[in-house]
Amino acid sequence: MCQAIMSKRKAKSVRKPISECITQLHKCLRERFCHDQLPSTLEASEAQHKHLLGLLQRTAIHGESNSALIIGPRGSGKTVLLKCVLRDLLKEKEVQKNLLQVHLNGLLQTDDRIALKEITRQLNLENVVGDKVFGSFAENLVFLLEALKKGDRSSTRPILFVLDEFDLFAHHKNQTLLYNLLDVSQSAQAPVAVVGLTCRLDVLELLEKRVKSRFSHRQIHMLSNLSFSQYQERVASQLSLPDDFPDRSFAEDWNSGVQSLCEDKSVEEILRRHFNFSRDFRSLHMLLMLCLSRISPVNPIIKPADVLEASRMCFTDSTSNMLHGLSILELCLVISMKHLNDVYGGEPFNFQMVYNEFKKFLQRKSNSMYNFEQPVVIKAFEHLQQLELIRPVDGSSAKTQREYQLMKLMLDNSQIIEALHKYPQCPTDIKQWGMSAFA
Amino acid sequence: MKTRQQGEPLRKLKNFEYGAAQVDHENAPILLVAPLPKRSKRKSAQLVSSRIKKQLNLLDEQPKPDLDTEDEEEFVPSNTALYSSSDDEEMIDGDEGELARKGRRRRITERLPPRSEKSPSAARACRKTRSKKGESDTPRHGSPTIPSRLMPAPQPNYVLEVARTRLHVSSVPESLPCREQEFQDIYSFVESKIIDGTGGCMYISGVPGTGKTATVHEVIRCLRNAANADEIPSFHFVEINGMKMTDPHQAYVQILEKLTSQKATADHAASLLEKRFSNPAPRKQTTVLLVDELDLLWTRKQNVMYNLFDWPTRRHSRLVVLTIANTMDLPERIMINRVASRLGLTRMSFQPYGYKQLQQIIMSRLNKIKAFEEDALQLVSRKVAALSGDARRCLDICRRAAELCEHAVARTSVARLVGMDHVMDALNEMFSSSYIASIKFASVQEQLFLRAVIAEFRRLGLEEATFQQVLIQHQALCRVEGLQSTGVSEVLAVCQRLGACRLLLLETSRLGILQRIRLNVSQDDVLYALKSD
Repeated sequence: MCQAIMSKRKAKSVRKPISECITQLHKCLRERFCHDQLPSTLEASEAQHKHLLGLLQRTAIHGESNSALIIGPRGSGKTVLLKCVLRDLLKEKEVQKNLLQVHLNGLLQTDDRIALKEITRQLNLENVVGDKVFGSFAENLVFLLEALKKGDRSSTRPILFVLDEFDLFAHHKNQTLLYNLLDVSQSAQAPVAVVGLTCRLDVLELLEKRVKSRFSHRQIHMLSNLSFSQYQERVASQLSLPDDFPDRSFAEDWNSGVQSLCEDKSVEEILRRHFNFSRDFRSLHMLLMLCLSRISPVNPIIKPADVLEASRMCFTDSTSNMLHGLSILELCLVISMKHLNDVYGGEPFNFQMVYNEFKKFLQRKSNSMYNFEQPVVIKAFEHLQQLELIRPVDGSSAKTQREYQLMKLMLDNSQIIEALHKYPQCPTDIKQWGMSAFA
Repeated sequence: MKTRQQGEPLRKLKNFEYGAAQVDHENAPILLVAPLPKRSKRKSAQLVSSRIKKQLNLLDEQPKPDLDTEDEEEFVPSNTALYSSSDDEEMIDGDEGELARKGRRRRITERLPPRSEKSPSAARACRKTRSKKGESDTPRHGSPTIPSRLMPAPQPNYVLEVARTRLHVSSVPESLPCREQEFQDIYSFVESKIIDGTGGCMYISGVPGTGKTATVHEVIRCLRNAANADEIPSFHFVEINGMKMTDPHQAYVQILEKLTSQKATADHAASLLEKRFSNPAPRKQTTVLLVDELDLLWTRKQNVMYNLFDWPTRRHSRLVVLTIANTMDLPERIMINRVASRLGLTRMSFQPYGYKQLQQIIMSRLNKIKAFEEDALQLVSRKVAALSGDARRCLDICRRAAELCEHAVARTSVARLVGMDHVMDALNEMFSSSYIASIKFASVQEQLFLRAVIAEFRRLGLEEATFQQVLIQHQALCRVEGLQSTGVSEVLAVCQRLGACRLLLLETSRLGILQRIRLNVSQDDVLYALKSD
């Protein structure tokens, strides 16, 4: 229906009001950034794609049992790789009719009992009525293994097990599920392919030795070896509009705008900083999303200032931002703690020490403007603890009196200095006191 | 292999009918099968043995060539009939839903004989057992199967593909090479026990992938052939695996089900088995019980292990228990004295394969197919023998090398054997650690952080530092490298990312900048990875 409307519009007029174009633009790009739309080709991980596709093809078509692990840091495109491979695999009709898929996630299936129920449900075995799985845990396991055992290579439909967050499955009791799945993949039973996705490099060391022996040690590493120029190209291609955008001229304008944006020197600098920080595309999408949200009919093109602003939002230090919101008294306490840290080399302190330090400051420097009662100061101290800017050294809070409980400051000196600079209307004497020990 | 696969469904099937008949017997006075001798004392034992004998006679009389489809269909109708007749009160909707959903089974029910043929007493008995056991045994009535594919998978065509299929770990050869001695020992042990009609235990140990389970299966296969040829008395074979159970006590349930296809709770099954193995019965067959992954049957009181090893010592048990585990000193380490003493001293350990043996295994698998170069095979077997001696690993590497060769052939369209280069690639893929590569491909800040960690370690002379200390080094390094200054939370994010992929070991992230950091890789590896770019 949408298509029809769009084509009608296209027929009516080529040039549309700018607000409508912007809406379309938002829809198109937001889908790309937030919904993890699959790319048509994977340039960066061509070899991995080929390896995995070949592996799954042999399972789906020839009934060969396999197991593999996809390992890579978070946001490196493991799930995208798997989804792309499945999409390409299911293009074949034969595979589409035969392949059974079971998707498990270590965060959802937190123990073998739940995982087993989920497998039974997704395979739609015969002890499933509606959506409910009958039988106890032990019966379910026996039933599933019996079912798998009856199968053979050439006549049973192949099953693909996808275990997302594979390392969490290794923490299950006895690793029963992993043992059984991998054992099926290594014996003459129903053909299965077990594909695990994980971000831990040491995942094989988590496996018990009999489980490890049954795993085929095929590891597909998602390591992105991309250079900065490729990164820039990626930014440009992610931002530019596709050819089938309804309004051609708007799309062309937009794309040329993106092109010139990427050539801008200041933008390049920002992008390089992001590239140095992390190479995963998820954080890049975050940046682009922040840029995109500033686009409106008034401001129809991304300017370098927008990128700068978005980057600033990405990189703000949340803790020193929190310091800006403290009251003067709390800031004073933080400064005294900083001084205590400097003097005593990071030893833990208690409230009395902080309070004495604060009183020294009052006696030495100031008039009685900040001469608060002790209960007020305690309140401020507790507020700092609630914000987790300070933290008790040992967890036993009930045993000792709160004035004498040992604490540690969870801020770095640089954060405090930065906060002092940016604090709105900071009194000069406090600022001086804060900076004084910094030499 | 073939004979067992044919034999077992048949026995199970007959047993099931027998089980149903027994239920019948308990409730109604009419006996369906055979008139009994009037020795009320041992009535049940007599009944059991005569039934078993009868089934076996049946089994011997009509050996069916193909049992996969027809028998199952023959078997299912009565089964579904029981099911539906007993289900009337309880789960009508569920039953209907299930029938509607599964065309195959509905077809079968339609072909049923009318229910009136069944004697009312039988129906009542069934209903009784069903309500007794509750809804939870619905799966028993379903036949556990994975649906079959539309057309069978294509057979492998050309040489490399055939080689790959044969190299798959699952295609166990008829006779295992390099395990002749072990085979002979186990064979003679079990054979002598079967012939003498006594019981005994044996403990088999060895690291994973040295052919323990496969050898025992081969022994059983040969013994079964011998039994079929009437050279030795026939015997039952029951296999349980500690890893395939949810709880050690499930062992009883599985043994009982495989022996008599009865279902019971763990306690009930234990008492039934106890009765079975301690009471004398004439013409009782020997049972060979294979317990794989024995260490998983450990419980605090060790009563499961105790029972398993105690039954063979009974006078009338006729039970041979073969136990398999990985560690050689398992009896001394985890078993209490009375269990270890009952296990006895008949032990055998499987040594890891040497390189010649591994080579021989691959050669026998390939079975004169010329797919591998001689040197390539030797390299694989030497590498694996040096590391673990695991035959599975060896076969996996060969299979991967064949795959790589296949890709190369597809690319260049020049037929060739699997050579050294392919094997080297496969070995690198499977054995090499990925830490170095992942450090190499990490982002600049991540690499810088690792360098800061090492610098701080050097300064402290310790292998541990807090984040706060590393941060100072990191910021100094940033200034040296001329990078923009970084905020604390940014560096913290870098550190968390390295921790997530386990290049660093971190404390909980709640500690913020106070958390302590360790390296999960050696410092030399990190320096090597950082230097080479």
